[in-house]
Amino acid sequence: MAAYGTLAFESVLDNAPALKSLETEPWTLPGARLIQASIEVEREPALAAIPPALHPSLPPYALFAVTEFPESPVGPFRLAQVRIVTRAGTRPRGFLVGAVCDSDVAAAELAARWGYSVVPGEVKLVERHDRWIGTVVRDGATIMQVTCRDPQLINGADIDLVDTLTLARHESESLLMQVDPEYVYHAAHRGHAELEFDSASWGRGLLAGSVRPTSPNVAVCCRVDTDLPTPRFVIDPAKPALLGTRRISAVGEPAD
Amino acid sequence: MKFGIFFELSVPRPWDDETEHSVYMNALEQVRLADELGFDQVWAVEHHFLEEYSHCSAPDVFLSACAAQTKRIRVGHGIVVCVPGFNHPIRIAERAAVLDIISSGRLDLGTGRSATWPELGGFQADPDETKKSWDEYIHCIPKMWTQERFEYQGQYFSMPNRAVLPKPYQKPHPPLWVAVSSPGTEFDAADRGMGALGVSFTSFAAQEQRVKTYRERIANCDPVGEFVNNQIASVNFLYCHPEDEEGVKIGKNMIGTFQYMAGQNAMAKEVYPTSSYPTGGLLAATRRQADGPGDARGAPEGIAVGNPANIIRELKKWEAAGVDRVNFMLNAAEVIPQQRVLDSLRLFAKEVMPAFQKSELAEVGS
Repeated sequence: MAAYGTLAFESVLDNAPALKSLETEPWTLPGARLIQASIEVEREPALAAIPPALHPSLPPYALFAVTEFPESPVGPFRLAQVRIVTRAGTRPRGFLVGAVCDSDVAAAELAARWGYSVVPGEVKLVERHDRWIGTVVRDGATIMQVTCRDPQLINGADIDLVDTLTLARHESESLLMQVDPEYVYHAAHRGHAELEFDSASWGRGLLAGSVRPTSPNVAVCCRVDTDLPTPRFVIDPAKPALLGTRRISAVGEPAD
Repeated sequence: MKFGIFFELSVPRPWDDETEHSVYMNALEQVRLADELGFDQVWAVEHHFLEEYSHCSAPDVFLSACAAQTKRIRVGHGIVVCVPGFNHPIRIAERAAVLDIISSGRLDLGTGRSATWPELGGFQADPDETKKSWDEYIHCIPKMWTQERFEYQGQYFSMPNRAVLPKPYQKPHPPLWVAVSSPGTEFDAADRGMGALGVSFTSFAAQEQRVKTYRERIANCDPVGEFVNNQIASVNFLYCHPEDEEGVKIGKNMIGTFQYMAGQNAMAKEVYPTSSYPTGGLLAATRRQADGPGDARGAPEGIAVGNPANIIRELKKWEAAGVDRVNFMLNAAEVIPQQRVLDSLRLFAKEVMPAFQKSELAEVGS
């Protein structure tokens, strides 16, 4: 059967965010701008970067994204994320291996509520007529620049933005928290992906400098109203997701 | 109603030097038995790069072996991917014609366009263009077969005046089919006078309506070939066992294994946003049906697992909905031991097939 991830997640748990609660209130995030590139990566390092609960997708690929949130309960912020696309059972999920945020307040809330492991840095999103560009700078060095070149208007309904899994701690438990926002598209474009990426600077060393993008595939850029919802599911990172997924008590959702 | 079998040729890990050989040999043994038992067709898919899920990248070669080892069963070459990079239309016409000749006129040709990112990305295909290239291919291939010489200036290929050889054994040419997974593709088939291969819908009521619309549209079609193939085939899973509980249990294990393997592949829509691929592909509709709540036995509605009586009951629903053929997947990742697969085929032929042969005879007599 399909291969499982081999990440020794226990070794990075000390640095994983500690969740205050599994039942956080949602955030409404209107007017966001998002650029995201889907790019294939090498199989073996991708396997090494995901926990045993998850399968790599076929082919293995990663999502490189920069989002600007002009409105949030903690004010405007920009967030860059790198996620490796996996399968939780058969469901596509992006396992977060690294994130950078330009707001310390937002970063702290993202960590405590949704398990995002975020480091501070400069995050920019520039929109031109011929391209959108997302840039991440830390310690004076550009560690990621993702470009959507020659964007063409498409229907937002054609975009499948993959839900996120974060590695976090809650009390004495380690878990993968599922973050599954809703999106209302006001504009959506598809273009050619371009990426400059310093993998050694990302992901608490999870990527070990070895996830090498191999095949620029496609990028999207869009304007959306979105959210960070009350979490619904968590997964035991040590067990196959089919066995280790449980629904958590949440607003509007019955508990098992 | 007629019954066939089809192969994805899934190969489970761990792989060793014998794994693929064993899967292929088991499949050929199943084909020989199906031929003896009266199954009407054997189909082999074309897939590339889909680890474990399907190692059937050269179906024409596999089907040549099937043809050589059987006497009566028809060989279904499909779906052939009609997308530049995967296959040139001249090569499709040539290979299919040879297969028709060496099988003494037993070929059906199924056409399609691929739906997964490993394949479309692997061949550097443009997902926005695949429906258009499919349309161009299927309008040209019958002419390559039936015209002594053919020339063409098109969007996806062009060729000077040449004789495409050999010509098919069947005259005017083999039946043509379209693989249907996205909603509306069955009407593409109808408008072009082609059979709808793998039509599966979300409910039998919806199935009946779409079959009705297919029949209405194909009556006024502009056929791409020299004749109209107005058949509708559905895909299904088969595990037939004297004990219903055992049949459902083993059949559901096969279905679950297939679902799990299919789910590991990135669909075109997941990676590459495009209106050209509104749904998942890889038998998505059938997979959804097999995920249904099922009846009191725990068997999904419409799926042919269990004892003969219950399988007859489920297949009668397809028949009533207007389906002409059902093609069965017999195994997935070899989770069912070969002897059990063969026993399932024998029991189906002995207990289930007669229930449908009788209805055909009754129709003839009425």
